[in-house]
Amino acid sequence: MILQQKIPIISCERINPLFFRLRFFYPRIARESNPGNFVHIRINENNFPLLRRAFSIHKLVREKGTFDILFKVVGPGTRLLSQKKPGQELDILGPLGNSFSFPKKSSSEILLVAGGMGVAPLLFLASEFSREKKFDSSKITFLYGVKNKDELLCLRELKNLGLEVLFATEDGTQGFKGMVTQLFLNRMKRSSKPKKVKVFACGPPAMLKSMSQLSRDYDFDCEVSLENHMPCGLGACMGCVVKCGKKNKFEYKRVCQEGPIFNAQEVWLD
Amino acid sequence: MLRRYGLTDLSIKIGRVKFQNPVLVASGTFGYAEEYAQLIDLDRLGGVITKTITLNPREGNPPPRTCETPSGMLNAIGLANVGVSRFVKEKLPFLKKLETKIIVNVAGSTPEEYVKVIKRLNRVKGIHMLEINISCPNVKEGGMHFGATEESAYNITKLIRENTPYPLMVKLSPNVTDITKIALAVQEAGCDAISLINTLVGMAIDSETKKPLLANVTGGLSGPAVKPVALAMVWQLAQKVKVPIVGIGGIMDTKDALEFLLAGASMIQIGTANFVDPRTSIKIIDGLKDYCEENKMKKIKELVGKLKT
Repeated sequence: MILQQKIPIISCERINPLFFRLRFFYPRIARESNPGNFVHIRINENNFPLLRRAFSIHKLVREKGTFDILFKVVGPGTRLLSQKKPGQELDILGPLGNSFSFPKKSSSEILLVAGGMGVAPLLFLASEFSREKKFDSSKITFLYGVKNKDELLCLRELKNLGLEVLFATEDGTQGFKGMVTQLFLNRMKRSSKPKKVKVFACGPPAMLKSMSQLSRDYDFDCEVSLENHMPCGLGACMGCVVKCGKKNKFEYKRVCQEGPIFNAQEVWLD
Repeated sequence: MLRRYGLTDLSIKIGRVKFQNPVLVASGTFGYAEEYAQLIDLDRLGGVITKTITLNPREGNPPPRTCETPSGMLNAIGLANVGVSRFVKEKLPFLKKLETKIIVNVAGSTPEEYVKVIKRLNRVKGIHMLEINISCPNVKEGGMHFGATEESAYNITKLIRENTPYPLMVKLSPNVTDITKIALAVQEAGCDAISLINTLVGMAIDSETKKPLLANVTGGLSGPAVKPVALAMVWQLAQKVKVPIVGIGGIMDTKDALEFLLAGASMIQIGTANFVDPRTSIKIIDGLKDYCEENKMKKIKELVGKLKT
């Protein structure tokens, strides 16, 4: 069930000058959301910015009825959002979109690959894996890449999940020096059954493009969470499409409706 | 309840179709209505106008297809739609069940294509009116060339008029030298109403990458940014045409809707605002009702064209 509600902010955390986390209180959304779902937020009632902004759900506490979004200030919309205060209400549509599919076999080896803000939905996914007893946390690895270590977020949360966490920084200030996709490839090569590994990835377009290409080249099972400009978020406007399909047989699918989670082998990103 | 179903008559008639209120949702911004079913009571709308339907299914333009601009947005969707056969089979059954009027928006790349779509729609039940798109700026086949001159606008409207019993609303482009001439031509050809404006051709550029923000390079501008242009065109038409005018362009709230009615529109369409707030159309219906009651008006019709100049 999609809801449209004025929802109160209960906390606004400034992680550093560019990164923020907002916590909202609305039990139905907290109860009904799954990892990969997103909310569509009207940042201002005065029509600036005009269109809503989509944010994947980053964290939730079902018992307390709260859900969080994590974002980086990249433009006037996110700038305004970062200035919101607890007690203010925002018009939110959600939960929207599809969600990550959980591996059928609990014995599967799972790799989560986050680039930059891609950590937001993957932290939610990882915490659901640790909640569900059937997953063996020793078989789950969280790969997390950023430009330099100052951009690493959610370190405490990641640590608390009790998973193996590997870092990649482009400047080598923490962990592997290079792109998270390279770290991922190195990790895959260590795996005894690379074709049986289940991969979940979210990050900037260039990273997802290479994850999608790798998934075809090496034929592994990978789901990517995509982002796009979404005027409606409801599947009505056909604005947020991505090219999907197999060679010579393409179609456009809506990121807000058939996505945001797609089979990496199926999407063709520019 | 009394407030909502009070004494004020919000109904408007176009041709033989009586709409319960003057608020329609614009083509391309409301999908096939089912997308909004969880969020609003569709039965309360004056009417639903579907996404443009073409003879064959269309994938649409390559992405990126939309971007936000100051007080507006650009789109170059490219008339992505399921095609008339799938529309009739998969989308119409849902629309038929609604207690509101269903208007199907139609486009074609040739006159024959328009006629084929319309003949297919002639054979089904549940449609109350057609809106003829001769104004999509984003595809060659979108009909804008039909809407570009008086002669071609007349010819296509006349041809459609001869091929369907449905009342016709013709949607005009603002991207012309003199919209009143096109309007007179389609009126002459026998349409029952004229809707305007479709989007204004616009573009946006990323100066860092030196690339356009839309893959199609240009797109159609909509939203509050176009409202003054739309109001002026509605007002110009109101001086010249006899058929009812349906105003479209950046209507975000009741005040905007009232402005269009004053300028001479009998009905209005809500477009981009559906993205901003899916409840906009319902809020405007309530707002118009309240306005009429506060001003002791029995019929909303009394307001149409009452601009004091």
